[in-house]
Amino acid sequence: MNLDHTLKLEIPFEDAKQANIAVDVLKPDPILRPQDFQVSYKARDNVFVAEFESIDDRVLRVGVSNVIDSLKTIIETMDELS
Amino acid sequence: MVNLNTIPPKNNREYYIAIGLEGSANKLGVGVVKHPRLASHQSGDNSHICKAEILSNIRDTYITPPGEGFLPRDTARHHRNWVTRIIKRAIKEAKLTDPKLDIDVICFTKGPGMGAPLHSVVIAARTISLLWDVPLIGVNHCVGHIEMGREITKAENPVVLYVSGGNTQVIAYSENRYRIFGETLDVAIGNCLDRFARTLKISNAPSPGYNIEQLAKQCKNKDRLIQLPYTVKGMDLSMSGILAYIDSLAKDLFKENKKNKLLFDQETGEGLVTVEDLCYSLQENLFAMLVEITERAMAHVNASQVLIVGGVGSNVRLQEMMAQMCRDRANGRVHATDERFCIDNGVMIAQAGLLQYRMGDVIKDLKDTVVTQKFRTDEVYVSWRE
Repeated sequence: MNLDHTLKLEIPFEDAKQANIAVDVLKPDPILRPQDFQVSYKARDNVFVAEFESIDDRVLRVGVSNVIDSLKTIIETMDELS
Repeated sequence: MVNLNTIPPKNNREYYIAIGLEGSANKLGVGVVKHPRLASHQSGDNSHICKAEILSNIRDTYITPPGEGFLPRDTARHHRNWVTRIIKRAIKEAKLTDPKLDIDVICFTKGPGMGAPLHSVVIAARTISLLWDVPLIGVNHCVGHIEMGREITKAENPVVLYVSGGNTQVIAYSENRYRIFGETLDVAIGNCLDRFARTLKISNAPSPGYNIEQLAKQCKNKDRLIQLPYTVKGMDLSMSGILAYIDSLAKDLFKENKKNKLLFDQETGEGLVTVEDLCYSLQENLFAMLVEITERAMAHVNASQVLIVGGVGSNVRLQEMMAQMCRDRANGRVHATDERFCIDNGVMIAQAGLLQYRMGDVIKDLKDTVVTQKFRTDEVYVSWRE
Protein backbone atom coordinates (compact mmCIF):
# COMPACT_ATOMS: atom_id res chain seq x y z
CA MET A 1 0.00 0.00 0.00
CA ASN A 2 1.21 3.48 -0.76
CA LEU A 3 1.35 6.30 1.73
CA ASP A 4 -0.69 8.50 -0.58
CA HIS A 5 -2.89 10.28 1.94
CA THR A 6 -0.99 13.39 2.92
CA LEU A 7 -1.42 16.51 4.98
CA LYS A 8 0.80 19.49 5.62
CA LEU A 9 0.42 21.62 8.74
CA GLU A 10 2.04 25.03 9.01
CA ILE A 11 1.89 26.72 12.38
CA PRO A 12 3.46 30.15 12.92
CA PHE A 13 5.17 30.66 16.29
CA GLU A 14 6.32 33.94 17.81
CA ASP A 15 9.92 33.36 16.77
CA ALA A 16 12.26 30.79 15.23
CA LYS A 17 13.45 29.60 18.64
CA GLN A 18 9.94 28.53 19.61
CA ALA A 19 9.36 26.76 16.31
CA ASN A 20 12.63 24.87 16.73
CA ILE A 21 11.72 23.85 20.26
CA ALA A 22 8.45 22.39 18.97
CA VAL A 23 10.38 20.37 16.39
CA ASP A 24 12.89 19.12 18.96
CA VAL A 25 10.16 18.13 21.43
CA LEU A 26 8.14 16.15 18.89
CA LYS A 27 10.99 14.52 16.99
CA PRO A 28 12.25 11.89 19.47
CA ASP A 29 9.09 9.81 19.73
CA PRO A 30 9.02 6.75 17.49
CA ILE A 31 6.06 6.05 15.21
CA LEU A 32 4.22 2.92 16.22
CA ARG A 33 3.42 1.63 12.72
CA PRO A 34 5.94 3.20 10.33
CA GLN A 35 4.63 1.16 7.39
CA ASP A 36 1.21 2.85 7.77
CA PHE A 37 2.12 6.34 8.89
CA GLN A 38 5.05 8.71 8.48
CA VAL A 39 5.63 12.22 9.73
CA SER A 40 8.43 14.74 9.40
CA TYR A 41 8.86 17.98 11.34
CA LYS A 42 10.90 21.03 10.44
CA ALA A 43 11.08 24.70 11.26
CA ARG A 44 11.21 27.35 8.54
CA ASP A 45 12.07 30.56 10.39
CA ASN A 46 9.21 31.01 12.85
CA VAL A 47 6.93 28.53 11.08
CA PHE A 48 6.61 24.99 12.34
CA VAL A 49 5.95 22.58 9.47
CA ALA A 50 4.69 19.01 9.87
CA GLU A 51 4.18 16.76 6.87
CA PHE A 52 2.14 13.60 7.28
CA GLU A 53 1.82 10.59 4.99
CA SER A 54 -0.50 7.71 5.62
CA ILE A 55 -2.20 4.69 4.03
CA ASP A 56 -5.76 5.91 4.66
CA ASP A 57 -7.88 8.74 6.04
CA ARG A 58 -8.51 7.13 9.39
CA VAL A 59 -4.85 6.52 10.27
CA LEU A 60 -4.05 10.01 9.05
CA ARG A 61 -6.75 11.59 11.23
CA VAL A 62 -5.62 9.72 14.37
CA GLY A 63 -1.94 10.53 13.78
CA VAL A 64 -2.54 14.20 13.05
CA SER A 65 -4.83 14.60 16.01
CA ASN A 66 -2.21 13.09 18.36
CA VAL A 67 0.40 15.54 17.10
CA ILE A 68 -2.00 18.45 17.54
CA ASP A 69 -2.72 17.34 21.11
CA SER A 70 1.01 17.38 21.86
CA LEU A 71 1.41 20.75 20.15
CA LYS A 72 -1.29 22.19 22.39
CA THR A 73 0.73 21.18 25.46
CA ILE A 74 3.90 22.66 23.96
CA ILE A 75 2.22 25.97 23.13
CA GLU A 76 0.51 26.23 26.50
CA THR A 77 3.83 25.51 28.23
CA MET A 78 5.56 28.22 26.20
CA ASP A 79 2.81 30.70 27.02
CA GLU A 80 2.73 29.98 30.72
CA LEU A 81 6.26 29.02 31.66
CA SER A 82 8.81 30.84 29.53
CA MET B 1 33.33 4.88 46.95
CA VAL B 2 30.27 6.94 46.25
CA ASN B 3 30.80 10.65 45.91
CA LEU B 4 27.53 12.52 45.47
CA ASN B 5 29.26 15.89 45.23
CA THR B 6 31.17 15.56 41.94
CA ILE B 7 28.70 17.70 39.99
CA PRO B 8 28.64 21.16 41.60
CA PRO B 9 25.28 22.92 42.06
CA LYS B 10 24.38 25.68 39.63
CA ASN B 11 25.60 29.27 40.14
CA ASN B 12 28.03 28.43 42.97
CA ARG B 13 25.17 27.65 45.34
CA GLU B 14 25.57 25.28 48.24
CA TYR B 15 22.41 23.36 47.38
CA TYR B 16 20.77 21.52 44.48
CA ILE B 17 17.17 21.99 43.33
CA ALA B 18 15.27 19.46 41.22
CA ILE B 19 11.75 19.48 39.85
CA GLY B 20 10.02 16.13 39.28
CA LEU B 21 7.13 15.37 36.93
CA GLU B 22 5.11 12.20 37.43
CA GLY B 23 2.21 10.95 35.35
CA SER B 24 2.51 7.22 34.81
CA ALA B 25 -1.04 6.41 35.93
CA ASN B 26 -4.07 8.47 36.99
CA LYS B 27 -2.12 10.83 39.24
CA LEU B 28 -0.37 13.87 37.88
CA GLY B 29 2.24 15.14 40.29
CA VAL B 30 4.87 17.87 40.26
CA GLY B 31 7.27 18.36 43.14
CA VAL B 32 10.32 20.45 43.92
CA VAL B 33 13.06 19.16 46.20
CA LYS B 34 16.21 20.79 47.57
CA HIS B 35 19.39 18.98 48.66
CA PRO B 36 22.09 20.79 50.63
CA ARG B 37 25.63 19.86 49.59
CA LEU B 38 26.83 17.79 52.55
CA ALA B 39 30.37 16.83 53.51
CA SER B 40 29.05 13.39 54.46
CA HIS B 41 28.24 12.81 50.79
CA GLN B 42 31.88 13.06 49.75
CA SER B 43 32.27 9.34 50.36
CA GLY B 44 30.43 6.44 51.93
CA ASP B 45 26.93 5.08 51.51
CA ASN B 46 24.79 7.99 52.65
CA SER B 47 22.28 8.44 49.86
CA HIS B 48 19.40 7.82 52.30
CA ILE B 49 20.29 10.92 54.33
CA CYS B 50 20.18 13.81 51.89
CA LYS B 51 18.48 16.20 54.33
CA ALA B 52 16.08 16.77 51.47
CA GLU B 53 13.74 19.69 51.84
CA ILE B 54 10.43 19.40 50.05
CA LEU B 55 9.63 22.82 48.65
CA SER B 56 6.38 21.79 47.00
CA ASN B 57 4.39 18.65 46.28
CA ILE B 58 1.33 19.21 44.09
CA ARG B 59 -0.87 16.40 42.86
CA ASP B 60 -4.04 16.15 40.84
CA THR B 61 -5.80 12.82 40.49
CA TYR B 62 -8.01 11.85 37.58
CA ILE B 63 -11.05 10.37 39.28
CA THR B 64 -13.55 8.29 37.35
CA PRO B 65 -17.20 7.67 38.33
CA PRO B 66 -17.99 4.67 40.60
CA GLY B 67 -17.82 1.39 38.68
CA GLU B 68 -15.39 2.71 36.10
CA GLY B 69 -11.63 2.48 35.81
CA PHE B 70 -9.34 5.01 34.17
CA LEU B 71 -8.53 4.51 30.50
CA PRO B 72 -5.20 5.55 28.97
CA ARG B 73 -6.65 8.06 26.48
CA ASP B 74 -8.83 9.87 29.01
CA THR B 75 -6.05 9.89 31.60
CA ALA B 76 -3.63 11.36 29.05
CA ARG B 77 -6.17 14.07 28.27
CA HIS B 78 -6.46 14.88 31.98
CA HIS B 79 -2.69 15.18 32.29
CA ARG B 80 -2.42 17.39 29.19
CA ASN B 81 -5.12 19.67 30.55
CA TRP B 82 -3.45 20.11 33.91
CA VAL B 83 0.28 19.70 33.46
CA THR B 84 1.23 23.36 32.88
CA ARG B 85 -1.03 24.59 35.67
CA ILE B 86 0.42 22.07 38.12
CA ILE B 87 4.01 22.91 37.15
CA LYS B 88 3.22 26.59 37.63
CA ARG B 89 1.71 25.98 41.06
CA ALA B 90 4.65 23.81 42.14
CA ILE B 91 7.12 26.52 41.14
CA LYS B 92 5.10 29.22 42.88
CA GLU B 93 4.73 27.24 46.08
CA ALA B 94 8.45 26.46 46.08
CA LYS B 95 9.05 30.23 45.81
CA LEU B 96 11.39 29.85 42.85
CA THR B 97 11.65 33.27 41.27
CA ASP B 98 13.47 32.26 38.11
CA PRO B 99 13.30 28.56 37.23
CA LYS B 100 15.99 29.06 34.57
CA LEU B 101 18.53 29.95 37.26
CA ASP B 102 17.14 28.07 40.24
CA ILE B 103 16.59 24.55 38.92
CA ASP B 104 19.55 22.20 38.46
CA VAL B 105 17.66 19.38 36.78
CA ILE B 106 14.20 18.43 35.48
CA CYS B 107 13.22 14.84 36.29
CA PHE B 108 10.38 12.93 34.63
CA THR B 109 9.00 9.41 34.81
CA LYS B 110 10.45 7.35 31.97
CA GLY B 111 8.45 4.26 32.91
CA PRO B 112 6.92 1.86 33.72
CA GLY B 113 3.31 2.97 33.34
CA MET B 114 0.60 3.66 30.82
CA GLY B 115 2.06 4.88 27.53
CA ALA B 116 -0.27 7.75 26.69
CA PRO B 117 -0.22 9.47 30.12
CA LEU B 118 3.59 9.09 30.35
CA HIS B 119 3.91 10.64 26.91
CA SER B 120 1.72 13.66 27.66
CA VAL B 121 3.93 14.51 30.65
CA VAL B 122 7.26 14.02 28.88
CA ILE B 123 6.16 16.47 26.19
CA ALA B 124 5.85 19.18 28.86
CA ALA B 125 9.16 18.09 30.46
CA ARG B 126 11.04 18.39 27.15
CA THR B 127 9.49 21.78 26.45
CA ILE B 128 10.48 23.33 29.80
CA SER B 129 13.94 21.78 29.51
CA LEU B 130 14.49 23.52 26.16
CA LEU B 131 12.83 26.78 27.27
CA TRP B 132 14.89 27.06 30.45
CA ASP B 133 18.01 25.30 29.20
CA VAL B 134 17.97 22.89 32.14
CA PRO B 135 19.04 19.24 31.69
CA LEU B 136 16.61 16.33 31.81
CA ILE B 137 16.74 13.03 33.71
CA GLY B 138 14.51 10.02 33.11
CA VAL B 139 13.56 8.18 36.29
CA ASN B 140 12.29 4.66 36.84
CA HIS B 141 9.00 5.03 38.71
CA CYS B 142 9.73 2.17 41.14
CA VAL B 143 13.19 3.52 41.96
CA GLY B 144 11.50 6.87 42.66
CA HIS B 145 9.25 5.24 45.24
CA ILE B 146 12.18 3.43 46.87
CA GLU B 147 14.43 6.50 47.11
CA MET B 148 11.64 8.68 48.49
CA GLY B 149 10.84 6.04 51.11
CA ARG B 150 14.50 5.74 52.12
CA GLU B 151 14.91 9.49 52.43
CA ILE B 152 11.75 10.00 54.52
CA THR B 153 12.21 7.02 56.84
CA LYS B 154 16.05 6.97 56.90
CA ALA B 155 15.91 3.20 56.53
CA GLU B 156 19.42 2.27 55.48
CA ASN B 157 19.06 -1.07 53.76
CA PRO B 158 15.50 -2.34 54.04
CA VAL B 159 13.64 -5.02 52.17
CA VAL B 160 11.23 -2.99 50.05
CA LEU B 161 7.64 -3.98 49.51
CA TYR B 162 6.38 -2.01 46.54
CA VAL B 163 2.60 -2.25 46.30
CA SER B 164 0.52 -0.07 44.00
CA GLY B 165 -2.14 -0.14 41.32
CA GLY B 166 0.28 -1.39 38.69
CA ASN B 167 3.05 -3.16 40.62
CA THR B 168 3.51 -5.68 43.39
CA GLN B 169 7.16 -6.47 44.09
CA VAL B 170 9.40 -7.49 46.96
CA ILE B 171 12.77 -5.85 46.39
CA ALA B 172 16.16 -5.96 48.07
CA TYR B 173 19.30 -4.06 47.19
CA SER B 174 22.41 -5.91 46.11
CA GLU B 175 25.44 -4.77 44.13
CA ASN B 176 24.09 -1.61 42.56
CA ARG B 177 20.70 -2.99 41.63
CA TYR B 178 17.31 -3.11 43.29
CA ARG B 179 16.70 -6.81 42.76
CA ILE B 180 13.22 -8.27 42.56
CA PHE B 181 12.83 -11.20 44.94
CA GLY B 182 9.17 -11.84 44.33
CA GLU B 183 6.33 -10.27 42.43
CA THR B 184 2.80 -10.81 41.19
CA LEU B 185 2.33 -13.28 38.38
CA ASP B 186 -0.80 -11.56 37.09
CA VAL B 187 -2.57 -8.41 38.37
CA ALA B 188 -1.13 -5.96 40.89
CA ILE B 189 -2.62 -5.80 44.37
CA GLY B 190 -3.91 -2.26 43.83
CA ASN B 191 -5.51 -3.35 40.58
CA CYS B 192 -7.18 -6.24 42.40
CA LEU B 193 -8.61 -3.85 45.04
CA ASP B 194 -9.59 -1.23 42.45
CA ARG B 195 -11.46 -3.76 40.36
CA PHE B 196 -13.28 -5.12 43.37
CA ALA B 197 -14.26 -1.53 44.23
CA ARG B 198 -15.70 -1.26 40.72
CA THR B 199 -17.79 -4.38 41.29
CA LEU B 200 -19.08 -2.83 44.52
CA LYS B 201 -19.67 0.46 42.67
CA ILE B 202 -18.10 2.47 45.46
CA SER B 203 -16.48 5.87 45.00
CA ASN B 204 -13.05 6.21 43.39
CA ALA B 205 -12.30 9.34 45.46
CA PRO B 206 -9.75 9.78 46.92
CA SER B 207 -8.83 6.25 45.85
CA PRO B 208 -10.81 3.00 45.56
CA GLY B 209 -8.43 1.20 47.94
CA TYR B 210 -9.01 3.81 50.62
CA ASN B 211 -12.75 3.26 50.48
CA ILE B 212 -12.33 -0.52 50.72
CA GLU B 213 -10.13 0.06 53.77
CA GLN B 214 -12.88 2.20 55.39
CA LEU B 215 -15.53 -0.44 54.67
CA ALA B 216 -13.27 -3.17 56.07
CA LYS B 217 -12.93 -1.20 59.32
CA GLN B 218 -16.71 -1.38 59.75
CA CYS B 219 -16.73 -5.17 59.48
CA LYS B 220 -18.57 -6.61 62.50
CA ASN B 221 -17.55 -10.27 62.04
CA LYS B 222 -13.79 -9.95 62.14
CA ASP B 223 -13.48 -13.33 63.84
CA ARG B 224 -15.21 -15.09 60.94
CA LEU B 225 -13.15 -14.71 57.80
CA ILE B 226 -14.62 -15.67 54.47
CA GLN B 227 -12.47 -18.38 52.93
CA LEU B 228 -10.63 -17.12 49.88
CA PRO B 229 -7.92 -18.75 47.78
CA TYR B 230 -4.45 -18.19 49.26
CA THR B 231 -2.12 -18.15 46.29
CA VAL B 232 1.50 -17.68 47.28
CA LYS B 233 3.72 -19.40 44.72
CA GLY B 234 7.22 -19.57 46.16
CA MET B 235 8.33 -15.95 46.30
CA ASP B 236 5.60 -14.83 43.91
CA LEU B 237 1.86 -14.31 44.23
CA SER B 238 -1.17 -14.59 42.06
CA MET B 239 -4.26 -12.46 42.63
CA SER B 240 -6.51 -12.79 39.60
CA GLY B 241 -8.17 -15.96 40.93
CA ILE B 242 -8.95 -14.33 44.26
CA LEU B 243 -10.48 -11.38 42.47
CA ALA B 244 -12.65 -13.54 40.23
CA TYR B 245 -13.86 -15.52 43.24
CA ILE B 246 -14.71 -12.57 45.48
CA ASP B 247 -16.30 -10.78 42.52
CA SER B 248 -18.64 -13.74 42.05
CA LEU B 249 -19.49 -13.67 45.77
CA ALA B 250 -20.29 -9.95 45.59
CA LYS B 251 -22.48 -10.46 42.53
CA ASP B 252 -24.40 -13.26 44.27
CA LEU B 253 -24.84 -10.99 47.27
CA PHE B 254 -26.26 -8.14 45.18
CA LYS B 255 -28.52 -10.47 43.19
CA GLU B 256 -29.65 -12.06 46.47
CA ASN B 257 -28.87 -15.49 45.12
CA LYS B 258 -30.24 -17.41 48.13
CA LYS B 259 -28.77 -20.69 46.85
CA ASN B 260 -25.29 -19.54 47.80
CA LYS B 261 -24.60 -21.32 51.08
CA LEU B 262 -21.74 -19.05 52.01
CA LEU B 263 -23.84 -15.93 51.81
CA PHE B 264 -27.32 -16.96 52.91
CA ASP B 265 -28.64 -19.23 55.65
CA GLN B 266 -30.26 -22.08 53.77
CA GLU B 267 -33.14 -22.48 56.30
CA THR B 268 -34.08 -18.92 57.19
CA GLY B 269 -32.77 -17.20 54.03
CA GLU B 270 -31.03 -14.65 56.24
CA GLY B 271 -27.89 -12.95 54.94
CA LEU B 272 -24.69 -14.16 56.60
CA VAL B 273 -22.21 -11.87 54.93
CA THR B 274 -22.11 -8.12 54.26
CA VAL B 275 -20.09 -6.03 51.80
CA GLU B 276 -17.98 -4.92 54.79
CA ASP B 277 -17.17 -8.55 55.57
CA LEU B 278 -16.07 -9.15 51.98
CA CYS B 279 -13.78 -6.10 52.06
CA TYR B 280 -12.30 -7.16 55.38
CA SER B 281 -11.63 -10.74 54.30
CA LEU B 282 -10.16 -9.65 50.97
CA GLN B 283 -7.73 -7.28 52.65
CA GLU B 284 -6.71 -9.79 55.34
CA ASN B 285 -6.14 -12.49 52.76
CA LEU B 286 -4.14 -10.37 50.30
CA PHE B 287 -2.06 -8.67 52.96
CA ALA B 288 -1.25 -11.97 54.67
CA MET B 289 0.20 -13.15 51.36
CA LEU B 290 2.31 -9.99 51.10
CA VAL B 291 3.57 -10.35 54.67
CA GLU B 292 4.55 -13.95 54.00
CA ILE B 293 6.73 -13.26 50.97
CA THR B 294 8.22 -10.16 52.59
CA GLU B 295 9.22 -12.17 55.65
CA ARG B 296 10.81 -14.81 53.46
CA ALA B 297 12.81 -12.16 51.59
CA MET B 298 13.96 -10.73 54.93
CA ALA B 299 15.20 -14.14 55.99
CA HIS B 300 17.04 -14.53 52.68
CA VAL B 301 18.99 -11.29 52.86
CA ASN B 302 19.22 -11.18 56.66
CA ALA B 303 17.47 -7.83 56.89
CA SER B 304 15.54 -6.53 59.87
CA GLN B 305 13.81 -3.56 58.27
CA VAL B 306 10.92 -3.38 55.85
CA LEU B 307 10.04 -0.33 53.82
CA ILE B 308 6.55 -0.22 52.34
CA VAL B 309 6.12 2.06 49.33
CA GLY B 310 3.47 2.58 46.66
CA GLY B 311 -0.16 3.63 46.90
CA VAL B 312 -1.37 0.50 48.72
CA GLY B 313 1.42 1.16 51.24
CA SER B 314 -0.70 3.92 52.75
CA ASN B 315 -3.17 1.27 53.93
CA VAL B 316 -2.96 1.31 57.73
CA ARG B 317 -4.06 -2.31 58.07
CA LEU B 318 -1.20 -3.48 55.83
CA GLN B 319 1.23 -1.44 57.94
CA GLU B 320 -0.18 -3.01 61.12
CA MET B 321 0.14 -6.56 59.82
CA MET B 322 3.68 -5.93 58.63
CA ALA B 323 4.59 -4.38 61.99
CA GLN B 324 3.26 -7.45 63.78
CA MET B 325 5.45 -9.72 61.67
CA CYS B 326 8.48 -7.53 62.30
CA ARG B 327 7.85 -7.47 66.05
CA ASP B 328 7.95 -11.25 66.07
CA ARG B 329 11.33 -11.19 64.38
CA ALA B 330 14.33 -9.94 66.35
CA ASN B 331 14.78 -6.16 66.18
CA GLY B 332 12.46 -5.88 63.23
CA ARG B 333 11.10 -2.51 62.15
CA VAL B 334 8.60 -1.36 59.58
CA HIS B 335 9.05 1.89 57.77
CA ALA B 336 6.15 3.42 55.95
CA THR B 337 5.16 6.88 54.86
CA ASP B 338 1.80 8.57 54.58
CA GLU B 339 -0.30 9.26 51.51
CA ARG B 340 1.76 12.35 50.53
CA PHE B 341 4.71 10.14 49.62
CA CYS B 342 3.21 6.66 49.26
CA ILE B 343 0.81 7.62 46.52
CA ASP B 344 2.46 8.65 43.25
CA ASN B 345 3.94 12.12 43.46
CA GLY B 346 6.42 14.41 41.75
CA VAL B 347 8.77 14.75 44.71
CA MET B 348 9.83 11.11 44.55
CA ILE B 349 10.78 11.51 40.89
CA ALA B 350 12.77 14.63 41.79
CA GLN B 351 14.48 12.82 44.68
CA ALA B 352 15.62 9.81 42.62
CA GLY B 353 16.41 12.00 39.61
CA LEU B 354 18.54 14.35 41.68
CA LEU B 355 20.58 11.42 43.03
CA GLN B 356 21.14 10.28 39.43
CA TYR B 357 22.09 13.82 38.42
CA ARG B 358 24.57 14.16 41.28
CA MET B 359 26.25 10.98 40.05
CA GLY B 360 26.68 12.56 36.63
CA ASP B 361 23.89 10.72 34.84
CA VAL B 362 22.21 13.24 32.58
CA ILE B 363 20.42 12.99 29.23
CA LYS B 364 22.48 14.41 26.41
CA ASP B 365 20.22 13.57 23.49
CA LEU B 366 16.45 14.03 23.52
CA LYS B 367 16.21 10.60 21.85
CA ASP B 368 16.91 9.15 25.31
CA THR B 369 13.78 10.77 26.74
CA VAL B 370 11.40 8.39 24.96
CA VAL B 371 9.09 6.89 27.60
CA THR B 372 8.54 3.17 27.92
CA GLN B 373 5.63 1.17 29.31
CA LYS B 374 7.88 -1.67 30.43
CA PHE B 375 10.88 -0.71 32.55
CA ARG B 376 11.85 -3.17 35.25
CA THR B 377 13.22 -2.05 38.60
CA ASP B 378 16.43 -4.06 38.18
CA GLU B 379 17.29 -2.47 34.83
CA VAL B 380 18.50 0.66 36.64
CA TYR B 381 22.15 0.82 37.64
CA VAL B 382 22.10 2.30 41.15
CA SER B 383 25.33 4.30 41.06
CA TRP B 384 24.53 6.29 44.22
CA ARG B 385 24.85 3.30 46.57
CA GLU B 386 27.82 1.15 47.48
